[in-house]
Order: sequence, then structure tokens, then C-alpha cells
Amino acid sequence: MPDLKRYQGLALIGVMSASTLWLAATGQLELYVAPKHAIFAVVMSSLGLAAVLVSAMRVTVHHHAEARPRMLGRVAASVGGTVAALVTAAMVLLPPATLTSATAAQRDVNSTAPLTDTTTLDEQSAPDASTENLSLLDWASLLRQTSDLGFYEGKTVQATGFITPDSDDPDNVFYVSRFYISHCAIDAQAVGVPVYMPNWDSTYDADEWVNLEGEFAVNASTTSAQSIAVTADAVEAVAQPADPYIYK
Amino acid sequence: MTDLLTRTRPKVARRAQRIGLLIAAGGLAAVFVVRALTGDIALVDLPNAAQDLVTLTVSVMIESLGFVILGILISVLVQVWIPDRWIVKVLPRNAAARRVVISVLGVLLPVCECGNVPLSRGLIAKGFSVPEAMTFLVAAPIVNPVTILTTYQVFGFTDGILVSRIVGGFLIANLIGWLFSQHPAPGALLTEKFAADCALPAEGDHDHSGSKWQESRDLFAREAAAVMPALILGAFIAGLVQVAVPRSVLVTLGSNPVWSVLALMALAFVISICSNIDAFFILPFASTFMPGGIVAFLLFGPIIDIKMLAMMRTTFTIKTLVQITTVVALMSATIGFMVNFYA
Repeated sequence: MPDLKRYQGLALIGVMSASTLWLAATGQLELYVAPKHAIFAVVMSSLGLAAVLVSAMRVTVHHHAEARPRMLGRVAASVGGTVAALVTAAMVLLPPATLTSATAAQRDVNSTAPLTDTTTLDEQSAPDASTENLSLLDWASLLRQTSDLGFYEGKTVQATGFITPDSDDPDNVFYVSRFYISHCAIDAQAVGVPVYMPNWDSTYDADEWVNLEGEFAVNASTTSAQSIAVTADAVEAVAQPADPYIYK
Repeated sequence: MTDLLTRTRPKVARRAQRIGLLIAAGGLAAVFVVRALTGDIALVDLPNAAQDLVTLTVSVMIESLGFVILGILISVLVQVWIPDRWIVKVLPRNAAARRVVISVLGVLLPVCECGNVPLSRGLIAKGFSVPEAMTFLVAAPIVNPVTILTTYQVFGFTDGILVSRIVGGFLIANLIGWLFSQHPAPGALLTEKFAADCALPAEGDHDHSGSKWQESRDLFAREAAAVMPALILGAFIAGLVQVAVPRSVLVTLGSNPVWSVLALMALAFVISICSNIDAFFILPFASTFMPGGIVAFLLFGPIIDIKMLAMMRTTFTIKTLVQITTVVALMSATIGFMVNFYA
């Protein structure tokens, strides 16, 4: 009699490995793991597929004298088996996606903006400093260090990101935000610049990708925790870029 | 019965092999085809939180898949291809010294904790005493190169997290080994079923397996069946906690020297994530939790969690598991509190 449990593990490894290789082949693996881990993921998935194929060539039914798991083990196994099947099906059937503004809001935009490997206050205080090439990570880092309007005077913000409503004043303030990631999406932290625009959601949607251009001014919102925010000269809807995350 | 067929009718065996291979290859080809067809089509419009739950879960699965495959392959190599005497022969005779050496064996056998349970069972069957097998079971997931490498990748030498993890794991393992070596009859720590299995002659267990290749294929499939559902469940719960628990709750718990330790130990118990990748999982918490909490998570989780208790129950009695859990919990919490105090 075929031992179905035996095939469950092989099937899970096979489906996950195949999905991982498909993501890599279509350039979408970086939606889930950092580029520095991509090669390892691809090599091990290939090995996994090979091992699954070899292991599936089965001749004997080899029963080890194994103790059967008790109650706790059986419950864990059935819950685990069901969740595993559903999640693996989702991995194959749902289109690859980036994290959304829900996670950005849950993790508080800019709460953990890094202060290393980004531009510094000194660099940006220099007379010939240019803001043209600053990323959202740079802006978030600067915002964490100072909210002195004098520092931001004459500095134009140009940034591309998705819209995350400000949790304290969702009607009038939103962030142009991105996730930065060290290893994989589970460690994603949101960074962004706050934009003051009353009733912005009559024109734009949360999660929509936009190009922002504008300058910092006193935040006119009475409930937002941000003391300064960008007053936009232009907010233009754009398609989600191929590399939506900032990898660090 | 099937063995008999294999020996007497090689044609049937070859056909069975071909059918197995065809089914697997067909299944994998189907995955690629389905992926190519559904890659751009949103079959269902998920709300943001549900979409992020899927994204986070899949990201942990992809990140850890490579390590799990590596762990299973090494486990197969050790159990099937390395002769028993290589491992038993190199150990010192003095009991305490033996346990010290056994607790660093994980450096040579870098399997994560899921692979360690079957490996420890194999070691007991090969002649390790029960306390020695426990020492290995506790130490190997932490004192092994893959875990050390991933922990280093994530934390570097920040706040002594890496060093506390390695030293703490080593100490807890030797304490457990010493405590249980005081037991008058260590055989009583095992379930009756497993003790009976061990009493069977070892050769009888293996002589019908065909070949080492055959055995390797069987073992790969068996380990995969044991490990993969637990891994995916762990990834799912990790994603769920990220999506469902408000950050304010995490921040409140994490900034308290006592609660940061206890909360992350509870989290480690529930999510049951592999020691090879738990550092990646806990990284986002590092900004809100004190380092002692992170250390307690990284010490307690690899040894005791829902998945491990379920797996260890195949081998040890409930009383034994309660004792191990108590000792490991007290030690992890103590080390966590100390790190919070000094770091």
C-alpha cells in the first residue's frame, strides 16, 4: 500500500523549490529575499528538486520501527499538514506581491530608520550638497536626526514610493514610503517622507505608487505627530517599479 | 512483501521506479505550468493584511528552505553513510568529558533541531547513553556552524547576543546531561515503545533496506515529511504575529527587562521556528526588544517549542519532557535577565 505521508514532505519540498526557481527565473525572487541570499536559495532549491526526483524513484516500502507520535503529535501534525497545504497552494496560485501599506502602518513608518550607510547631516549641510540622488532611506534618516526647518530649506524632495496613510491624521497626511530589507520580507521596515495634502484620498489611493516632488514646511495637520511635512509641488501616479524594496 | 517482489522481479521494480519518477517529474512540471499561468492573474482580491500574511509567510519559507534542505541532506549523510564507530570511537571515556565533546558534535553535524530528534534516536540506538543523547539534542541546534553563521549575519557581535547564545547553549546542554546522568535508571526516561525498539538487534532493522542509496532516498522522504509541515506552520505563525499583534503591544513588552525575556520565550515556544533561521525571524523585534529577550528567544526556541515537544514525545516520557522544559526555561530566562542587566 502506498505510504502517502512519505510523499507529503517530498511534495512540499518539490512545490516550494519549483516556485522559488520560477520566482528567480522571472526576476521576482527579490520580492521575498535579499539579492545576497538569492544564489543560495536557487542552488539549494535545485538540489532539493533533484533530491525529490531521486527520492520519488522508490522500490521498497521500508518501515522503520518508529514510535508513533501521541495525541500532541497527532494534533500538531494535522494542523501543520492543513496549514502547509493551504500556504503551499497560495504560493503557487497567488501572484507574487510586495508588502502593503498595512504592514508599513503596523510597523510605524520611520520608527527604525537606520543612521548608518545613509547620507549624513554634515554632508547635506555642505554648501554644494545636492538632494537629487537621495533615496527615501536617506530622507528618513535625516528626518530622524533633525526636524529643524532651517536645515531643509531649499532642499527639494524627489522620491518614488507607495502611499501609506499617516495613522494619526489619515485624511490629511500620508507618507510616500518604501520598505527597506536586510534579509527577507519578514524584517522589512518602512521608511518615508510625510506629505501634507488635505483630502488626498479623493485623488489617490493607499498603496498607489507615486513620484513626489516638493519641499518641507511646517506640518499644518493638528493631529499628526510629524512636526514638518512635504508640501507637494507634484504628485504623479506611476507603475510599481521592478525593484520596490530598498535592500541594505 | 514488496521486498520480495523487488528481489524476484527486477522488471516490476524498475517499472515502479520509472512510475515514481514520472509522477514526480509530472507534478513538478505542473507546478511550473500553473505558476506561469497564474503569475499575473489575481484569482482572489485579498485584503491588505491577508496579502501581507501570505507575503511574509512565503518569504520566511523561501529564506529557510535552503537551510532545511541542507540539514536533511547532512542528516542523511550522517545516518546512512558515516559508520557508527567513527562517532562513538572518538569520544573520551570520562562521562563529563564525553558530554562536553558531544555538545560540540553539532559543529560536525550541522542539522537543525528538527533533524536532531531522529539523529538522537539513532545515536541512542547506536549505543549513546540517554543523558548523552539529550546533551547532543540540546546543544547541536545552537552550537553548529549554520546557526552560528546566520546568527552572526543578523546580529554580528552586537550586545553579546551571538556569544551569549553559543556559551548559553553549551552550558544548558551540559547541565541537562549532568542532571539526567544522576538518574538511577536512565532507560526509564524513554517511552516504552522506543525503549523496546532500541532493544531490537540493530542489523535486523537495516538488512532489508536494499542499498545505502535506497536507504538515503527513504530517509530524505521521511525527514522531509517530518520537517516541512512544521516549518511551514512556523513560518505562517511568524507572519501572523507580525500582521496581527500591534506594534505598541510589542514595544511595551519589549522595553521591560523581565517581560522582554518572558514574552520572547513564549513567542519562541509558539512559533517553533528552526534554529538555523530563527535569527532572521527575530531581527525585526530587535529594534523593540531588549537584547536579553533576543538571547532567551535564541536559547529557548531551538530546544523547547511546540514542534520539538511533539517530536521528542516519540522518544521521551512526559515526565522527562516536563523536567527538561523546566530546566531549559529557567536557564534561558536567567541568561536573558543577565544579558539585560549587563548589556
